[in-house]
Amino acid sequence: MSTMLDLSLRLLAWLVLAPLLPGVINKVKAWVAGRQGPPVLQLYFDLARLWRKGVVVSTLASPGFVIAPAVAWVAVVGAALLLPLAGAGAPASFDGDVLLLVYLLALARFCTAWGAMETGSAFEGMGAAREVSYAVLAEVGIITAVLTLVVQSGSISLSSMFAPLPGPSAALLAVGLFIILLAENCRVPFDDPNTHLELTMIHEVMVLDHSGPPLAMILHGASVKLMLFAVLLAQAVLPLSELALPASVGVLALAVLLTTVTVGLVESLTARLAFRRVPLLLTIGFLFCLFPLLLTWMGDI
Amino acid sequence: MTSALLGTAALTLVLACAVGSRPRLWLALNSLGTLAGLGAAATVLTGGRGWALRSALTLGGENVFLALDALSALFLTLVCLTGGLGALYSSEYWSDEHFPRSAPRGRSWWSALVLFMGLVLTCANGLHFLFAWEAFALSAYFLITLDRERSEVRRAGWLYLAASHAGTMALFAFFSALAAGVGTWDLGPLRDRPDLAPLFWLALMGFGVKAGMFPLHIWLPSAHAGAPSHVSAIMSGVAVKMGVYGIVRFSGWLPVPDGAGWTVLGIGCASALVGIVFAMAQNDIKRLLAYCTVENVGIILIGLGLALLAATHGHPVWGQVALAGSLLHVFNHCLFKSLLFFGAGSVLHATGTRDMSRLGGLWRAMPWTAALFAIGAAAVSGLPPLNGFVSEWAIYQGLLKAVAQKGETFGVLPAVIVLAGTGALALGAFAKASAIVFLGAPRGKTSGHAAECGLSMRAAMVVPAVLMLCVGLMPGYFLNMVQACIAAWTPQWAASAPPIPARAIGGAHTALACALVAAAVFALRKVRAGGIRRGPTWDCGYAAPTAHMQYTGGSFAGIVTGWFRWLLRPDRRIRRVRGYFPESALALERVPETVLEKGVGPAARAVMLLADAARGLQHGRLHLYILYVFLGVTALGMLVFHGGM
Repeated sequence: MSTMLDLSLRLLAWLVLAPLLPGVINKVKAWVAGRQGPPVLQLYFDLARLWRKGVVVSTLASPGFVIAPAVAWVAVVGAALLLPLAGAGAPASFDGDVLLLVYLLALARFCTAWGAMETGSAFEGMGAAREVSYAVLAEVGIITAVLTLVVQSGSISLSSMFAPLPGPSAALLAVGLFIILLAENCRVPFDDPNTHLELTMIHEVMVLDHSGPPLAMILHGASVKLMLFAVLLAQAVLPLSELALPASVGVLALAVLLTTVTVGLVESLTARLAFRRVPLLLTIGFLFCLFPLLLTWMGDI
Repeated sequence: MTSALLGTAALTLVLACAVGSRPRLWLALNSLGTLAGLGAAATVLTGGRGWALRSALTLGGENVFLALDALSALFLTLVCLTGGLGALYSSEYWSDEHFPRSAPRGRSWWSALVLFMGLVLTCANGLHFLFAWEAFALSAYFLITLDRERSEVRRAGWLYLAASHAGTMALFAFFSALAAGVGTWDLGPLRDRPDLAPLFWLALMGFGVKAGMFPLHIWLPSAHAGAPSHVSAIMSGVAVKMGVYGIVRFSGWLPVPDGAGWTVLGIGCASALVGIVFAMAQNDIKRLLAYCTVENVGIILIGLGLALLAATHGHPVWGQVALAGSLLHVFNHCLFKSLLFFGAGSVLHATGTRDMSRLGGLWRAMPWTAALFAIGAAAVSGLPPLNGFVSEWAIYQGLLKAVAQKGETFGVLPAVIVLAGTGALALGAFAKASAIVFLGAPRGKTSGHAAECGLSMRAAMVVPAVLMLCVGLMPGYFLNMVQACIAAWTPQWAASAPPIPARAIGGAHTALACALVAAAVFALRKVRAGGIRRGPTWDCGYAAPTAHMQYTGGSFAGIVTGWFRWLLRPDRRIRRVRGYFPESALALERVPETVLEKGVGPAARAVMLLADAARGLQHGRLHLYILYVFLGVTALGMLVFHGGM
């Protein structure tokens, strides 16, 4: 019974807290630009409004157009549930659960690409092609980061994988994972979540034709994914396992907030990259994950 | 029990070969034979005890010796499964009505292929193994060239035959050397003969050609693309696995040389990466699936290579998980590749083309095929909660455990990174294949009059899909099955069985599957309740969209093919827009069989040139021949004279 309660509390935390993050990012951006900006809770209002609306579906689309966002949402939330939350641990943990997490994100990606291709739109095809191609580099980076954690901790289960890394490795890994976070969540400098009609978009063009409840699922799923990467980054880098339960959860929450503010600052202070530079930056992110791996391997041979 | 079942299987299949001209009787006999074979394999796999038969009957001076242990039973399952389903599929796909001349021939050779593959798996005598191997290769050749009026098919068949015999040559050498070393043609475990270890390289060469590992895969894409789709399914799902069987079998029975593990791991990584990059670049859907076979063989070899490493260094903990993943992947790949080739065959049947740039929007005409193909595509990309994830997860687990242990396993790190990249590329390739063919608007006239395939073709696709879901939701059962094979591979590991958390992954998969179905149903209901308005695709308000503006397979893969241009060497023809009143523009890009056309081809031509030059020595002038003999004898004499000194 207590596991069920634990699971529902976690689910509630992920579902309710996640839409806060895009609100914080927007507030930071407004603050830097000297604007008032939308309220922090804007995404909640948007979701509620979308949930009540009807949908417009392309004449070309199959039922998969509606099913794909739902499947993608479940996959992202499932991946989030696998992640331990600092001292609170994970609800279920087994050897190799980290791979389930990575592949659930892949399932979400497959469904998003599928939904985009449903409409036969050139724009959305472009977005889907870019998403699956750049994800190759991002996934390689994530696995490299996971390898670093595996080598450091000697464990292949998420619940015991986040052993404290030595300072230099932690700093390098933080940069690497932050770059991957920006790419996977389609933030500047990879993508600009503010515009819809630019030829340089990835994520936003894939959801051009979605509306109503499916769009709400996509937006909510995106915020959960952002929070997932922020939590992963914080736990991979900070020695949270050495703290007591309340302190570790508090530090984790602070770290997630800090990551979110940093995303907002990056978004305010840098321009989007020229499109052909995107693979280069992703490769740099991969290298930032590779060096801590080599350092950790050499560390105690 | 096993003897009776295997006897029935062999007898009915022989009869089925004979009655190829009578479709219904043939289907009944072939189904009975494959079911009996499946029963025998299941008995051995679940009972755990092997079966052997040594008869007084001699063939070629050797006693007939048949055996079936857990390892060969696993592969026999594949043979019988696809052998039965493909026959069902072909009864509609390659019917007498459409192919009056080749259909009866195709049915006879089909049963022969199934029979000879079964014999390869049960022969425990080197000489008879070679006979069965040759007969299997030949019946596959006649099936590939079923549609022999087309010249591309004849060329593909010829290439297959040549490659296959190159491999058989290595196998002749392997089995002869083995028989010479041991003193008998009988096969069996010889783990205490380290002097036989170098023979592994011969086996790897010979079986590797059949397994389609890079760079010996040159025959595979054209043979799989040109063959009828049910033949492609059995070639890719099963025939290729015979090569894998050979490598697994003899690496278990014979001692292996020191570098074997790293070599197999390296070849696996290369096959996986090269295979999927080429798959991504294809426009022909069956060629895409064929290259994906190379990728999956690579994944299987990564697991096997890791197991060999573990055996050399004595680490059963990760070796066992990796081998379990590898063998389960053999089974899984057979399931989803059969499904995908059947699906591609249905598309070809309905539209008459394999070219993805002329297809599109087929889901409306072919909802069953579209849904089943999508499931197959998700499984081959290794997505949970399907079977592909279970085996890839086990292989990953072996790799990560090896990494976690540190020490001598530094070389495993690049393998993990390559496998991750391969997985992401596979997702891209199959998002492309399923979306371009089934979604969007039709790109040509071909999709206009398409219709869903009939009941037997659909049934042949539903069965593997259901089995795939079973493996995904109940992996424990199938991993136990594979555990018996591992005990047959190396008995030392049987005692120290590490817990594979199959129950955990099965639970997670079941929960996930329930949540996915619930979410899908809920989303559909919610959307229907809120009201659906249909309209043209918005496309940013563009007023006159046409089907030609859609992304094609080539443009979808463009980014990745751009990264790998150095490997793919595409032929490009571009006519740019010029002048104030441009006439037309054009951009064509074709990815050739690069390894064949730019690697093996030129090498083969160099050999032919040398051979041509040598032919000048043979001209029919007797006095010059006498001069050759004189010179030869003189040279030999001098050699002996010097040697004597």
